[in-house]
Amino acid sequence: MKRRDLLRMGGLAALGAAAAACGSGGGTGAAGATELQFMYWGSTFEKAAIEKMLKAFEQKKQGVKVKPVFTPDEYDVKLNSLVAGGKTPDLGYVPMSMSFRLAEQGNLVNLFPYLQKYPQLAGYLPDAYLWYGPDKLHGVATANEIELLWYSKSAVAQAGVAPPPAVASSAWSWDQLVENAYKLTVDQNGKHPDESGFDPKQVRQFGISISVTYAAAWYGFLRSNGADFADEAGKKCLLDSPEAIQVFQNLQDLIYKHRVAPGPGQLAATGDDVPGTNILLKTKRVAMVVDGHWALLDMNESKVDYGIGVLPKYAEPFTTSQVAGASSVFSGTKHVEEAVELFAFHIDPQYVDLYKQGLWMPQERKYYEDQAAIDSWTKNDGHPPEFRTAVVDYARDHGVPDLRNRVKNLSAISSDVLTPALQEIESGKKPAAETLKAIAPKITGMLQGWQHTQEP
Amino acid sequence: MAGMSGQRRMERRWGLLMALPALLGFVIFTAGPMVASLAFSLTDWQVGGTPAFVGLGNYTELAGDELFWKSLSATTYYTLGAVPLVLIVSFAVAMLLNQKVRGLPIWRTIFYLPTLVPAIANVVLWIWIFNPDFGLLNSLLRQAGLPTGQWIYDEAMAIPSLIVMSTWGFGNTMVIFLAGLQGVPRHLYEAVSIDGGGPWRRFWHVTLPMMTPTIFYNLVVGVVGTFQVFNQAYVMTEGGPNNATLFYVYYLFRIAFKESEMGYASALAWVLFMIIVVITFLLFRNARRWVYYEMAGAR
Amino acid sequence: MTAVEAPPRSPRAGRVAPTAGLRGGRRYGKVLLYVALVAGAVPTLLPFVWLVRSALMQDAQMFVAPPEWIPSPFQWSNFTEALTAQPFWLYFVNTVIIAVISVLGTVLTCSVAAFSFSRLRWRGRNVAFAVLLSGVMLPYAVTLIPTFVMWQELGALDTYLPLTVPSWFAGAGGGVFNVFLLRQFFLTIPFELDEAAYIDGASPWRVFWTIVMPLSKPAIVVVTIFTFIGTWNDFLGPLLYLNDEEKYTLSLGLASFQSIYLTQWGYLMAASAAVIAPIIALFFFLQRYFIEGVTLTGIKN
Repeated sequence: MKRRDLLRMGGLAALGAAAAACGSGGGTGAAGATELQFMYWGSTFEKAAIEKMLKAFEQKKQGVKVKPVFTPDEYDVKLNSLVAGGKTPDLGYVPMSMSFRLAEQGNLVNLFPYLQKYPQLAGYLPDAYLWYGPDKLHGVATANEIELLWYSKSAVAQAGVAPPPAVASSAWSWDQLVENAYKLTVDQNGKHPDESGFDPKQVRQFGISISVTYAAAWYGFLRSNGADFADEAGKKCLLDSPEAIQVFQNLQDLIYKHRVAPGPGQLAATGDDVPGTNILLKTKRVAMVVDGHWALLDMNESKVDYGIGVLPKYAEPFTTSQVAGASSVFSGTKHVEEAVELFAFHIDPQYVDLYKQGLWMPQERKYYEDQAAIDSWTKNDGHPPEFRTAVVDYARDHGVPDLRNRVKNLSAISSDVLTPALQEIESGKKPAAETLKAIAPKITGMLQGWQHTQEP
Repeated sequence: MAGMSGQRRMERRWGLLMALPALLGFVIFTAGPMVASLAFSLTDWQVGGTPAFVGLGNYTELAGDELFWKSLSATTYYTLGAVPLVLIVSFAVAMLLNQKVRGLPIWRTIFYLPTLVPAIANVVLWIWIFNPDFGLLNSLLRQAGLPTGQWIYDEAMAIPSLIVMSTWGFGNTMVIFLAGLQGVPRHLYEAVSIDGGGPWRRFWHVTLPMMTPTIFYNLVVGVVGTFQVFNQAYVMTEGGPNNATLFYVYYLFRIAFKESEMGYASALAWVLFMIIVVITFLLFRNARRWVYYEMAGAR
Repeated sequence: MTAVEAPPRSPRAGRVAPTAGLRGGRRYGKVLLYVALVAGAVPTLLPFVWLVRSALMQDAQMFVAPPEWIPSPFQWSNFTEALTAQPFWLYFVNTVIIAVISVLGTVLTCSVAAFSFSRLRWRGRNVAFAVLLSGVMLPYAVTLIPTFVMWQELGALDTYLPLTVPSWFAGAGGGVFNVFLLRQFFLTIPFELDEAAYIDGASPWRVFWTIVMPLSKPAIVVVTIFTFIGTWNDFLGPLLYLNDEEKYTLSLGLASFQSIYLTQWGYLMAASAAVIAPIIALFFFLQRYFIEGVTLTGIKN
């Protein structure tokens, strides 16, 4: 029995009503104009920028109308329903947990043939491409994103600590990070964790906050220490390797041994937690926070006296990049050409304000290499002077793509096994080694290999 | 006798007619999707792909699914704690708000407010209350010289914390009790008073028995709803820490919409359905012993 | 109507002498009553006070630790900016339309059904009721997609039909709780009233409309409040079925102050406070129907 029959049988068992003709994707408007549906999420802030971009596209492409389908929350519920009903939009954002699956099912257009036709599409950073097989490309991460070490300038100055370096080659070692975090951690009586009488229950300012449960926050460290999530075949989990254990033990030690970082739930900063990094730094609850570059927008909006540094390193300095969800064209579209054009357009910094405003980073390689192109999005009040080395160069030369875009079946692995284990590490009840050794075989059992990668 | 059977006929005709919208609604809007999901539960179907019939495969897989058992026990634990607590608190508040006091409309509105505050504002508030470092709860405990806790960030304390939080959701149950209290005939109270009974006697011999239909309703709805508890895990704990608050429907939701495994999710749903049906059936059967209905005399 | 006069479970009335000093006891009781009200009001007011103070704060102050309660400065602009950031007036009108249609349908069809399930005898009644009730026992997550596809096949996507039509069929699905609720209340009304009316030649509809409904005002108010608030706050329904922003509702408007990268806390809190103001007013207005003695007066007349 086909899925649609099954659905129809259920849904219409009683009514027996005539099924509406159900072509997928946008239809043809009354005036003969092509209509595309563009589905996306975002804050009101992003919404304004996207709407402006879509208007610009309509102006440039006469005869094409774009209907934005703004879906502020529960995006996966709506998208699953649209997919089940065969009424997908023409193009739009696809949550990371869904995009590879939809592509393998044939619900997304293979964009590989279009790379030739639209040179712009071929010029993105290599890690931006989302492959689901050889010569099979289902989309591009909507924006490039990397993890950074944000700090409060005044907190650093007060403690007499040298600010975190903004150049990858001179990044702090882990020990340097810990050492400085000690100086930046102060309890209500002004005592540091290494002084007698320090009250860990009444900490006024923590030195550092790094999320243990948010993979993008630690994956760079893992790679920097020569470890990885899985072996080359992507079939064996390596989180129980000594190098990986060291990374997680170090994270746990920040909280319980050194007492320079807040414990679980206290002040996590993973992007959607409460409160944001901007507030943590502004109120100086924390002096340094590992968070994505997208915090820049918030930092500027709330006028934080912030600085940007690169992450500490073990050996080679690395940071997690490509953290965003996918943008894709749905195979239900009747206007593939127009949809692909809009696809290229919607992440073009010329037309989208979000790059200049600090929320997004471009995917096109030239915006990291060509001086004029770099200036076009970074030379403004919203981007501090160190942005060039600490973000642009760092992203280009030291980014390692996020696990979620690379490991097959990660969404299930993450919610069923990995996240609970990381929470256990974060709780400090067991040494990291014990937890990691217990879960590595479980994860191995769920691993299905790495996603395919190739040159565009 | 002829008149009686005429009455019967009329009741049957009107009974069906008046139940018709509800029955039609069930057949049109509820039954179809239910049947569909039952059919899905017999397939391996990822949304967007083609379903493959697997018989009872999903159900046998369930039995070996560690997280299924974990979520079932977390949900049962939560239900056993939250349902009685909310019932007692809301009954007490309803009694309180049924007294003659000044500014009654304002008092009633105040006590209903927590139900109206949007979930997101509530979540931010409770995250602050439970914050181990500077949260309200630990601050109060510290001032009282009592030991503090990690609350929702501690595996053992997470569900008790959420049960405490659920108490603030007493508003709807309370309003139903409040409405129920209006149906307790005053003359029954007077009868007890004339016999010299005090407030306790009035409560035990009039209020409580007369309120049993309402209590029964709130109990059933509470059990049915709480077994499907979802929001707190979804917006506050994401099932954590270490799956401590992995509530059944949250787990199901994750499988249905993150993994799009609608076949397996449907099997999960039908297992929960059976559990709730059995419990509700037992509640209804048991109700004959303690719920008082007016029809007892007449019919 | 003598049966009505008999207490339900004849309270075994012990002969206790009337308490002396009753007046003193009453006064003492009154004081206790107010103490209890105030003690209860503090924790119940907490979420609301939290919301209002947050709505008037700048984001940075909202999260300082330990928390502050008095906004400084008072950020009144949160309200003006939040409510103009999106077409909230339009969303308000849309939401009211959906809510009013839903309340009317739910109250009417649910009470009619509840009357049938509680006060009319027909074969299969209890089985039908049980089947109806089972509809709320299956998690909606697995019926959501088939329901969505059904409305799509009917060509009703991007209309208010999926959000309103079920309410005219006793609220189909979750609305069954209302039928159950009303049934429980109807069952507490003395049956002698019906019988007397039938002897006078009344039809069941007449009994329903002139006897049972007027005696059930508190329960009907409960259903009204629940349905209104439920529709007002419904997020998933409008999100799934509406595509056109012209048709969006308040809850969709609220959600867009929050995203993965960025939450405009001040706006979110201010808009939330503004959005619940009408339902607070509605409750304040409707709670007056929770007054004692409705049943009694009904019977005495």
